[in-house]
This record gives sequence, structure tokens and C-alpha cells, in this order.
Amino acid sequence: MASPHYPEGTVRALLATDLVTDATRNALQARLDAPLYEPQYLDGATYELLRAVAARLFPQPDRPDNPIELAPAVDKRLLEGASDGWRYDALPPDREAYRMGLGGIRDSAETMFGQPFLSLNDEQKDQVLAAVQQGTAPGHVWQELPAVRFFEELLAELTENYYAHPLAQEEIGYVGMADVPGWHHIQLNQLDPREPEEVK
Amino acid sequence: MPEEEVAEEGVLNPLQPEIQDPLLKEIIEENDLQADPSRDPLEQPAPLPDPDEVVDCVVIGTGAGGAPLLARLAMAGLKVVALEAGPWHDPRKDFATDEKAQAFLFWNDERLSAGQDPLAFGRNNSGIGVGGSTLHYTAYTPRAQDDDFYLHRDFGVGVDWPFGYDELEPYYDELEQFLGISGPENYPWGPTRKHKYPLAPLPLNGAAQLMQRGCEQLGIKTSPAANAALSARYYQEGIGWREACQNRGFCQAGCNIGAKASMDVTFLPLAANHGADIRPNSYVTEIERDASGAVTGVVYEQNGITLRQKCRNLFLCAGAIETPRLLLLNELALTSGQVGRNFTAHTGVQVWGTFPEDVRPYKGIPGALISEDTHRPKDADFVGGYLLQSIGVMPVTFASQAARARKLWGQAGRDYMRNYNHIAGINILGDCLPHESNYMELAEEKDARGVAKPRIHFTAQENEKRMTAHAENIMRQIWEAAGATDIWAFPRYAHTIGTARMGLSGDDAVVNADGRAFDVPNLYICDNSVFPSALSVNPALTIMALSLRTADKFLEKAR
Ligand SMILES: Cc1cc2nc3c(=O)[nH]c(=O)nc-3n(C[C@H](O)[C@H](O)[C@H](O)COP(=O)(O)OP(=O)(O)OC[C@H]3O[C@@H](n4cnc5c(N)ncnc54)[C@H](O)[C@@H]3O)c2cc1C
Ligand code: SF4
Repeated sequence: MASPHYPEGTVRALLATDLVTDATRNALQARLDAPLYEPQYLDGATYELLRAVAARLFPQPDRPDNPIELAPAVDKRLLEGASDGWRYDALPPDREAYRMGLGGIRDSAETMFGQPFLSLNDEQKDQVLAAVQQGTAPGHVWQELPAVRFFEELLAELTENYYAHPLAQEEIGYVGMADVPGWHHIQLNQLDPREPEEVK
Repeated sequence: MPEEEVAEEGVLNPLQPEIQDPLLKEIIEENDLQADPSRDPLEQPAPLPDPDEVVDCVVIGTGAGGAPLLARLAMAGLKVVALEAGPWHDPRKDFATDEKAQAFLFWNDERLSAGQDPLAFGRNNSGIGVGGSTLHYTAYTPRAQDDDFYLHRDFGVGVDWPFGYDELEPYYDELEQFLGISGPENYPWGPTRKHKYPLAPLPLNGAAQLMQRGCEQLGIKTSPAANAALSARYYQEGIGWREACQNRGFCQAGCNIGAKASMDVTFLPLAANHGADIRPNSYVTEIERDASGAVTGVVYEQNGITLRQKCRNLFLCAGAIETPRLLLLNELALTSGQVGRNFTAHTGVQVWGTFPEDVRPYKGIPGALISEDTHRPKDADFVGGYLLQSIGVMPVTFASQAARARKLWGQAGRDYMRNYNHIAGINILGDCLPHESNYMELAEEKDARGVAKPRIHFTAQENEKRMTAHAENIMRQIWEAAGATDIWAFPRYAHTIGTARMGLSGDDAVVNADGRAFDVPNLYICDNSVFPSALSVNPALTIMALSLRTADKFLEKAR
């Protein structure tokens, strides 16, 4: 079964209606209108590396000019020292884990292909990332930082940032944000009028 | 990246350095307070309490364990104060239907997860705010069955509860009526009930219909679940009318219309109406004692000010990680050596499948359908049992789990997530036996307050592994029978249980059958930490039942 597709523009249109509570609209609109972000915690080169990694974990060929940016929320979180309530004991504190982990990706790229990560082609980048995910990436950092756990955390955080974005929610046909009226058609194959249908 | 990084290791929030000098601390705090007139009236600093006043009871924590007893004690005419670390929310204004925007409902102070199966906290099981974790529970409220309380009697392992179903039944009855629980006309499992559920069941959503379909083909009995969300408008004594559920599917964060029976719309207003003083943003750091070892009061921080509240009795209801943490930090109730030990977490494996039907998992009450046919399965190669539940899911939570368990990323990841509207899940909640390698301790690493972070060790043992395998097998069959493809399992453990357990003797338990600490005469504990065993059902209703019972036992004694 091919993956479903949904029409574009539906979420922006919904947000302009009174079907969305203010609290919900404010949260989503802020992400849609996010201004250009200057890293405040990571240094410029490290931030670009994080962006490049995010671009492979969430390739967005469908949004060539303005991809959903996943790195700002990470940078902000590290700056604030915020947490999601837990951390693998096997990993150092998040700031340290990101510092080491991104450094590790940089080193692994050099070792595997003799070039900086940013200069690799997409396939090579993916090979580096897959090696980190599988715990087989070369480099001394990975002796100290459990690569598999680091990658899992990195992937989970970027995934959450991606699917929190209204355009990513539109992409998967989620319209739970239209939260003023209740839902009446909640059974299988039933749709309320404000739910977009799949594009056939 | 800045070099001082390494030096900061271990501090959760380095922007708030720990200040040792008490005088300096006081000055900074006063300045902070003046500079930050809180945005929200609910968060305005309360008038300062009289430092010499001794109240009858202080209750720490306002979740499932703290709120019911708070109301009971206040209704008995006692002078009671509740201290809650988190804010008092206005659901209509504060609760966006957005997972990220509601992250403030979770206990996000960092916990360290150790062992072979490190547990996820935060979103997975721990809340903060007036109402505690009930602000974002799914509101499944099955009762425990009688044999749940007697694993040792029946299987020779674990420990029995000091009492059984009979003792809790009147409280279950009372709670179901008071909270306005929606449920079936005749619930098919467990002892015969004296009262019916006050409201009809909530309508089944897509995932529930699919689970029903799969189970029917396999001969597994199902029933609409008991759920603490209102299927109709409901009048609550002492509170007023509450509105019916609008099928918004968002219970796992805050319900913005108050249809879900979280403590902030039920027991807490009731308590406040009877004179309870509920103080939000009040984080307890110390418990004070006199020479005889009795508790005399607590020290807490409210909006940056350090305050003290004296009391004749203390009820510690901070949840199964923060309760033992406070006990360990204050070296309190430690004679049994059991504080922080016997940590269990429900086996909670989830199985997901993709269906040709349009499911739209964001609609309808997420806690809709249940089966307890697996309570004591005949072919079990394990001790205890579990129940099956259909689950609804929001996109960010689902994507995050899929990323962790399926390790999908790149185009493959995005393609999989496009199936979101065709996905349905089932999960279990089952027993978990205590084991010496599963415990909570204080770590060397400090949080932003300079207090030791908790480290929780968890490794699933043979029994948990067998139960999970048994359940995963059944759930895969159900989903196959219902027509799913691409079925996968997310191994998971939910809820935090058992770190200050209840028992008959202070040699192997922290509190007695009435919830009182064996070695501190006026300290009571009531939350998920006192459960002697995990039970094969969701915990909240039983925590609330214990809470009312603990209050009644206390009042009996006080009389
Ligand atoms: C997503 C999710 C779904 C769930 N679904 C269900 C379900 O369907 N059915 C069910 O039965 N259960 C469910 N649960 C679990 C249920 O919510 C908890 O088991 C229950 O609320 C625990 O009660 P408690 O009193 O032990 O702790 P909590 O309800 O967590 O209350 C503890 C309170 O103490 C406060 N506190 C902690 N430390 C301090 C301190 N130092 N000073 C002051 N205050 C402090 C906290 O802020 C918190 O408010 C779910 C939980 C989650 C997270
Ligand atoms: S599904 Fe019902 S109870 Fe749950 S959050 Fe929505 S309206 Fe509230």
C-alpha cells in the first residue's frame, strides 16, 4: 500500500478559522512563523553540522527553499538546560552528549571518507549516520559515548521537533488542532467536514 | 561550543547556579520576585502564611494519591494545607491541543535511567501541577481484582497486600459515583458489583472498533472500558456541573473542557470548598523533625521564597520517585531499609499495525476498549496477569516511539509516518515482580536546586519477559485477525510503583496497612509508592481508593 497523501494548505486554512482555540493557534502559528534562527548555544560550525545531520534524518526535497528547521529547538533547549524528564544513565548530560556526539560524527566522517561531513554526498552522509546508529562508527569518541543510545536520543528529539510542526502534521493528515467543536464522526472511515481526505 | 561545558557536567540548568550563602540567596530571591510579577493570576504569590501557625495536616503533592485524602480531611473539619510543586492551570486558557505546548504538564526534572531496560519518565509517567499526573492520564479506571492483591498466596512470589478487594470495594464504589465514571452496563470481569457505573460507556473510536473486530475472531471477550471521562454532563456534589467529553482524543495531555476526571476538576475544588489551602508552585525541599523523630513541619520554596509550614501530621504524596527521594534526602523512615527498593513498573508493551481503513487516531476517547481475559491466562508461563487496551495516539508521541523502536529515518521514516491516519494500537498493563536489582537511589549528580537527582535502575526479569512475549503474541494475532499489516511492537514499561511499600511489618515495609510510616509516628505516605505489588490494572483508581482509606483510618484514630 502506497503511503497516503493529503492536500496542501489545509492546516494554514484551519488556523485562520474559529475552529481552533487561541491556545492551540498560538502554539502552532509561532512554529509556522518562526523567524530565522541564529544559534545561541552551539557554535556556528557545530550548528551547521547539526543542521546537515537533521537534513539527512528528515530529507525534505518537497520543501527545497524553506525546509522545516529542526536544529533551532535543540539549540534553544541546550541553552536553557531544559530536559524531558529523563536521560539514559549511560549518557553524559545532554550538553556534553551533543558536544561529544556531533564531534564523533565529524570524526567518523573524516575516518570513513577523508572529508568533513558537510562535504560528503547524501549517500556517504547516510552511511556515516547508519554506522553511528548501529554502533559501528569509527572514532575514539564512541569508546566513551554509547553511539547507539546517542543516536536514538538525537533521532527522537529531531523527530519530535519535526512532527510538532504544523506542516509536518498536515503532511500526515493530522487535524486534531481543530479543537473548538467536538468530533462527531469518530468511527472507522468516518470523517467530520473539517478533516481533509486523502488525495487519490 | 563553549569550553566550560565539561565543568558544568551534572547540572540540569546551569543558568541558575547554586548559591550557598543564605543572605545572598535571600536578597537575590527578593529581587527576582519583584522583577517577575507572574503573568497569571493563578500564579500570583499567595499571601505569606503565618510562620507560627501549626496546621493539622500538610499534604505534599496533589495527584491521585494526595487529592482525595486532602478533600476527606478538609471535609472532616481539619485545617489542611496542600503543597504542590507545579502551577494551578486554567485548562481553557492554558491547554492547547498540542503536545509540545503541553510539555509543562510533565515532571521534566531530569531522572537518570539505568539498568538493562532503562525507563522513560516525563511524558511516559510523571506529572506536575495542581492535579499531578492525573492532568494527563488516559483515565482508564478498571478496578483491581481480588487475586491481584495476593500474588504470594497464589504463586509463592512477591508479597501480598495487607488487605484485599473487600477493604477497597466501598471506595471503588464511592469513587466511580463521585468522579462520574463512564462504563458498560455489566462489566464482564471481577467480582459482582454493588453499583453500576453512573454513566453509559463512551463511544468506541476506530482503534477500539478494530480491536473489537480482531478479538471477536479469536474468541477474546472485550468490553467498553471504564473511563473517568464523562459520557454525559454530570453534576458533582460540592463542585457543580461538568461538561461531557467532546471526543477530542487528547486525554494524554490536559483536557481543556474538564470532562476528564483529573484531580483539579474533582477532588481539589471539593477540598478547597471545604477550606483546604492549596498552594501551587510550592516545592518541598525539607522535612523537619523534633528530638523524638516526629515530623514538625516542612520547608518549601514558593515563587523563589523559602517558607516553612508547621504541621501535626504530614502526608507525603509526591509520587513513587519524588516520595522516596524526599525520604532519602531527609533521612526519614529509613529503618526498614526498603525506601527506594521494590521498584516496579507495569509491563506495557504496545503493538501497532497499519489498516486499510481510515482510523484517525486523534479522535475519540483514547482509552476506549478493554479486555481482562488475560487476567490469569490458562497457558501462562508466568506469574500474575495483564489486561489489554486499545489506544489512541497523538502524532508526536507516536513518531517518537516509532523512531526509537523501528529506528526509521530519512525517506523511509517520513513515508511510514504518512500512514498515521491508518494506524491503531493495543497495549497491555501487567504485573511486575520486585527484584533487588530494580531500585531508586540518589545520584551524585545534582539538579538546578543543588539537590541529588534520582537514579532508577530497571531490568526486566524473567517474569516480565515472559509476560511481554505472551502478550505480544496475542496482540499480533489480534491485529492480524483485524486486517493489519506492518505490525510492530514497542517494548515499554509504564507507571512508577512500589518504592515505599506497605506491609505488615516494619522489617520489610515502609508503611503499615493504614499508610503510616512504621518509624515516624505522624508521617503518612499515599501514592503509587506504597503499592506492595504492581497489580494487573491501571493504577489511578486504586491509588485514589487507598487515599480515601488512608484518610478514613487517620480520622478514626484521631477521633
Ligand atoms: C500519559 C499517561 C497516561 C496514563 N494513563 C493512565 C490511565 O489510563 N489509567 C490510570 O489508572 N493511570 C494512568 N496513568 C498513571 C496515573 O496518572 C498515575 O499512576 C497517578 O496519577 C499517580 O498518582 P500519584 O499520586 O502516585 O502521583 P502523581 O499523580 O504524579 O502526583 C504527585 C504530585 O506530587 C508533586 N510533587 C512531587 N514532588 C514534590 C515536591 N518535592 N514538592 C511538592 N510537590 C511535589 C508533583 O508535582 C505531582 O503533582 C497515566 C500516566 C500518564 C503519564
Ligand atoms: S477525549 Fe474527552 S476527556 Fe479526553 S481530552 Fe478530549 S474531551 Fe477531554
